[in-house]
Amino acid sequence: MTGQAAEILSAAPSEEPAPSAQIAPLDEQTLVSFTDIWRYWGRGKNRWAVLRGIDLQIPCGTATCIGGRNGAGKTTLLRIATGILAPNSGTVTIDGLTTGDSWREYHRRIGFLSAGDRGLYNRMSVRAHVDFWARLAFIARSERRPAVEEALARFGLSELAKRRAERLSQGQRQRLRLALTLVHRPKVLLLDEPRTSLDGEGLEMLRCAVSDVLARGGAVIWCSPAGEEQPIDFDRTLFIEDGRLVPA
Amino acid sequence: MTVCTQYVGAVLATAKRDAMIFASYRLRFISQVLAMLFTLTMFNYIAKLVRPNAVGPHGHYYAFVVVGILSTAILTAALSTSNLVRLELMQGNFERVVISPLGPVGGAISVAVFPVAYSVLFSGLMLGLAAGVFGIPLHLVDAPAAIAVATLGALAFASIGLLFVAGLLAYKSAAGTTWVLAALALLGGAYFPVRLFPGSIRWASNVQPFTPAVDLLRHVLVGAPSAEPVWLDLTKLAGFAAVLMPASAALLWLAVNVSRRRGTLMEY
Repeated sequence: MTGQAAEILSAAPSEEPAPSAQIAPLDEQTLVSFTDIWRYWGRGKNRWAVLRGIDLQIPCGTATCIGGRNGAGKTTLLRIATGILAPNSGTVTIDGLTTGDSWREYHRRIGFLSAGDRGLYNRMSVRAHVDFWARLAFIARSERRPAVEEALARFGLSELAKRRAERLSQGQRQRLRLALTLVHRPKVLLLDEPRTSLDGEGLEMLRCAVSDVLARGGAVIWCSPAGEEQPIDFDRTLFIEDGRLVPA
Repeated sequence: MTVCTQYVGAVLATAKRDAMIFASYRLRFISQVLAMLFTLTMFNYIAKLVRPNAVGPHGHYYAFVVVGILSTAILTAALSTSNLVRLELMQGNFERVVISPLGPVGGAISVAVFPVAYSVLFSGLMLGLAAGVFGIPLHLVDAPAAIAVATLGALAFASIGLLFVAGLLAYKSAAGTTWVLAALALLGGAYFPVRLFPGSIRWASNVQPFTPAVDLLRHVLVGAPSAEPVWLDLTKLAGFAAVLMPASAALLWLAVNVSRRRGTLMEY
């Protein structure tokens, strides 16, 4: 047994796990798969399970909305999907890959927008940001420039391309963060509260970007607090309640 | 495009990012040049106090200490990597690097590239000024050898910097860089020859990469007699780089996985 496996087993739930809500896969080919995901926070007596055996299959070409109250575990689930956070048990695959198979190939397939407005360099221009992340996403040199221009245009940033991030409004910052998330045309889009600071025009840009990912056969997971009005029609809307996924 | 080219491209892109951010603060470079000039001037006078044969038959203490100072500057830049990663964590930028194909280890390594490369270039400028203004005997014909030694030394130093990044990610603390820097500069003989140490301390000079790096640089840049045969210093330095770099990368990857399991990778 490897040390990692031993650690996972030692961290496995001590109490009898309650049956998790199985969200049946749709008929199409599965692109994203969460299998029996358990994640705990805290230690000792203060340890609690934020995710309790999440099972979820997301097919190609579908958008899934995951809602829930504050602290329900939406961000935790997305962070597990990105690989930033390891589950205590369970597996996530994207296009059949886990982060352990190939960090590089796994992350070429995903675009992740975290909640909030962080992740920008104040002293760098809008174009320099997009170009930098295009390089980090391993976009081939011949495709990089068109990809950068397309990302700038898609989110209405072409005219702001030379402006430093510190001189952008909150809505413009969010559009730039979306451009960075999508510059490499990811197969799977993981969005954590993407509406933040976006006006009607920004929301329409986001809706178009999501439609484009779906049209390419990708998948979208959109997390937002319960009760928030959504600008797109989802194939499925689920909630996290008491650590389990339940249909809306 | 090969996988290797993709990684190199991403690392260079990070260095370009850091260069752009550095260049956006226009007074920073001027401030550094002024600080360097004052340091060079101060040591020029301190060197006059040192007896002529203190560091070798030619008694060039000034040249000796200038190379020690610039070597320490490269070491400082390498050890600053953990502080830069800490800033990235605090600003929320490291998260995006981690979820890129470059990954957390590649991301941390790439953060070291600009400061180390800049410190090597800045050291060249410092040496040029020391030669032009204060007349240290610079061996320009050996400049390519000096660049090779500085690069090898920078690799070994950067590996030590990555160990601190691993500590930062695993324990959320970058403490220790300051005293390690001071200890390496002391034991490596940045300001005085290590032969002055008693035997009980001298061994410590031989088990870290700073000593052979600074000894070789002094030899090729200002013609100082090396404390050890050149081939031995070179072998030591290459050995340190060859062992430390993969070891640091492996420890960094271990630290990343530990903090992913704890859920603290993005915390500081």
